[in-house]
Amino acid sequence: MTVLQWDQVGERLYETGVDHGVLYIPDSLGDYINGYAWNGLTTVTESPSGAESSPQYADNIKYLNLVSAEEFGATIEAFTYPEEFAQCDGTAIPEAGIAIGQQSRKQFGLSYRTQIGNDLDGTDHGYKLHLIYGATAAPSEKAYATINDSPEAIAFSWEVTTTPVGVPGFKPTAQLVIDSTKVTAARLSDIEDILYGDVGVDARLPLPAEVLSLFTGSTVAVNMVGANAPAYDDPTDVVTLPPVTGVQWKINGVNKAPGAQPALTAGQTSYVTAHALPGYRLTGDDDWTYAF
Amino acid sequence: MAPRLQLQSLLETITPRVYFQPPTNITIEYPCIIYERSSSKSEHADNTAYRYTKRYQVTAIDRNPDGPLHDKLAVLPLSDFDRFFTADGLNHDVFNIFF
Repeated sequence: MTVLQWDQVGERLYETGVDHGVLYIPDSLGDYINGYAWNGLTTVTESPSGAESSPQYADNIKYLNLVSAEEFGATIEAFTYPEEFAQCDGTAIPEAGIAIGQQSRKQFGLSYRTQIGNDLDGTDHGYKLHLIYGATAAPSEKAYATINDSPEAIAFSWEVTTTPVGVPGFKPTAQLVIDSTKVTAARLSDIEDILYGDVGVDARLPLPAEVLSLFTGSTVAVNMVGANAPAYDDPTDVVTLPPVTGVQWKINGVNKAPGAQPALTAGQTSYVTAHALPGYRLTGDDDWTYAF
Repeated sequence: MAPRLQLQSLLETITPRVYFQPPTNITIEYPCIIYERSSSKSEHADNTAYRYTKRYQVTAIDRNPDGPLHDKLAVLPLSDFDRFFTADGLNHDVFNIFF
């Protein structure tokens, strides 16, 4: 048995800061493709709720304690927001520069990074990557005030509620946190390539199952350049998707099986994306656009 | 044009005699405006200084206590009147201006 020690050198940990905000818009299948950098992020306040106890009495004693489900909510504060967030904030943009309010609100995903510091390394000790799923922003006020003798940018704020997504072996969740001081550098690099994008590969938010497979097992890199890339036959306007292990193809957001696709017709555009299945990760490229 | 030079141009629309942090060996003519860097204001986001604004202390000096410089400086955006004092028979109006 060892005696407990407190505040040892290198163990005076703390957390601070927030940066590297990324907004992810889900496609029609719920996959969070297309990440957009969220500039000017000032605060993310995590506000879990629920988990309230409901004591039950019997036999003149407290017989059991039922606990309600826990929900994840948050408040995002920032000086600005990505243009793509408008659809999540009830704003439709039918034409560039035209915004129509009071529209339906689209769900979104979010990732952000917070620093971990200690007494030796300061705030460079490590960081946490926070992944948020199924978020819905509530209407919020925007107080536009006159310019005065103290210049201040407007601080936008959004209350966010979430709908949990499934996690194999666990209860559904809307929040997943990755601690850089606890995972291997190689795996951390892999997840950051997915979250922030890489050369030829767009940023996206992997679902919890994919994140877990990334960290619990070895992932296979699939190079999507060359024979693994889609082929487009100009004379026939046919896109052919090659069979690639570990890849789910989508055209315009809809799952497609490998093989020749129906020929494009006049005015049609085919936006082909490749998505890594759990246990795989893509390199080189992951989207292609073909127009008739 | 750098913001400071823009401020110089703006102040020169009020009076042609505008001096930025003048050395002690020049002869100052009145009425005039003398201004200098005083502080700055930062707003932080993304773990960095996201927005940064410099503040200048702008002093209008005039022998005439009812001269027009005070009123013209007071209506500038981000202008805040700080104090008034007299020295050597000259009237000083001190403003803080973010620019």
